[in-house]
Amino acid sequence: MNRRILLVDMDAFFASIEQAHHPHLKGQPVIVCGDPSRRGVVTAASYEARPSGVHAGMPLQEARRLCPQAHYVEGDPEKYVAISLALLNLYLTVTPDVEPFSVDEAFLALQGRHGTHEAAHAIAVDLKRRITARFGLTASIGLGPNKLIAKMAAGLAKPDGLSDLDPEEFRRVFWPREAQSMWGVGPQLKTRLQSLGIATVGDLARAPAEALKAAFGIIGPQLREAAWGHDDTPLVPYHEGVEAKSMGHEVTLAEDCDDPAFLAGTLLRLSDQVGRRLRSEGYRGRTVAVKLRDHRFKTCIRQRVLPAFTADHRMIFDTARTLWREHWNGEALRLVGVTVSSLVRAASCDQTELFSPDERADRLRAAMDRVRDRLGEASLVPAGTLTHRRRLGHVPFGPVSGRPRS
Amino acid sequence: MGFESLSDPVDVLTAFVDGRIQPLRFRWQGRVVRVRRVTGEWNRREGSTLLRYFSIESHASDTYELCYDPRGPRWILSRAWSARK
Repeated sequence: MNRRILLVDMDAFFASIEQAHHPHLKGQPVIVCGDPSRRGVVTAASYEARPSGVHAGMPLQEARRLCPQAHYVEGDPEKYVAISLALLNLYLTVTPDVEPFSVDEAFLALQGRHGTHEAAHAIAVDLKRRITARFGLTASIGLGPNKLIAKMAAGLAKPDGLSDLDPEEFRRVFWPREAQSMWGVGPQLKTRLQSLGIATVGDLARAPAEALKAAFGIIGPQLREAAWGHDDTPLVPYHEGVEAKSMGHEVTLAEDCDDPAFLAGTLLRLSDQVGRRLRSEGYRGRTVAVKLRDHRFKTCIRQRVLPAFTADHRMIFDTARTLWREHWNGEALRLVGVTVSSLVRAASCDQTELFSPDERADRLRAAMDRVRDRLGEASLVPAGTLTHRRRLGHVPFGPVSGRPRS
Repeated sequence: MGFESLSDPVDVLTAFVDGRIQPLRFRWQGRVVRVRRVTGEWNRREGSTLLRYFSIESHASDTYELCYDPRGPRWILSRAWSARK
């Protein structure tokens, strides 16, 4: 049966959206970040900014030093998610088999008469044209017989590229390249591979499977198969959904902070966001983790397993605050995060809890959720977050409140 | 000059083109801004309300973000960038 996989990768997605929406930014270096007047990190850099060495995750201060001439634009996460969903709907007009891979990437499976080389290529060309016509954006598309080759092909000719590889062509193109060009091989794995004398993808393909298994366990032989272009990972269509493994929020503070009241307020707001998201998506979790990064960029992540599954922000906050108190050394912090993992569906918990330990609190939480569902996230917030909200400003990917006029 | 974040109520003259709402011009700070083209559209949900956002370029090459809030109904100018110094 004919089958081709497409990986659609939007080029510099967030920065390109800003360039499309604000034509004066086209052809200019654009750096998307939080509030540019505050401290933070680079969310995305346009292709014009990248030659300066700026990349996502870099502290804004360093980006300004490397690329002072760039336009620094405050990002709008909700806008980017909305456009990502609109792109998803466009992909679904091509095939029902669409797997969102990230906010700016998606796998599409083409089968039957659409799955031939020629048909898939023509569909990819047309899809690129429709993306540009409707959104003013460009995408790089990779085509292959499986997700691995499609993903790696998409990176060959960015931006606005289209690459179609079969396993033989994949090996011809990638075997001379360094092992880190493999999908899933990062700097640490690269170093470990080098210690075994494996420098290129070709070296990896020719390495004995037993030696790789001895060095890396189960992923060793998988890496070797990947180097041959073999991949049987199934495509999970959008409509079937993927179970979440964890949910978390983190924030880079506007300035380094050692004020316990402010940090506690930040933890409360993050816990509230996580709890709200767990409840709205029908999950409960049992492991709470807190992430603390100090002004020297030293990061501490600590977690604790709860006695029961929860989506209650108070229980999440109590645990996060305890972890913070136990592990914070008093140094000024630049980033704080809260994550809940070990998730299960709420329905499976309800069946085991005939009598809720605190029905009144459950009813109160449900009532608060109904208010927020109707009036928005900022309509009702824990009182403990009010003082610090005035100082916190932009919270990436958090619920957005009305911003005061600047 | 950078972007300015705003929350200004504005009067907007609109048309419906192919079943889609299309801002044509709006009055802001005592002057009329004529829309050359809509450069982007997206939606944002605030509780049960669907807010519709439009990124537009004016004939003076300035760019703006307009938000249609059906609860008023009303239009809000949420962001502006001026090409003039």
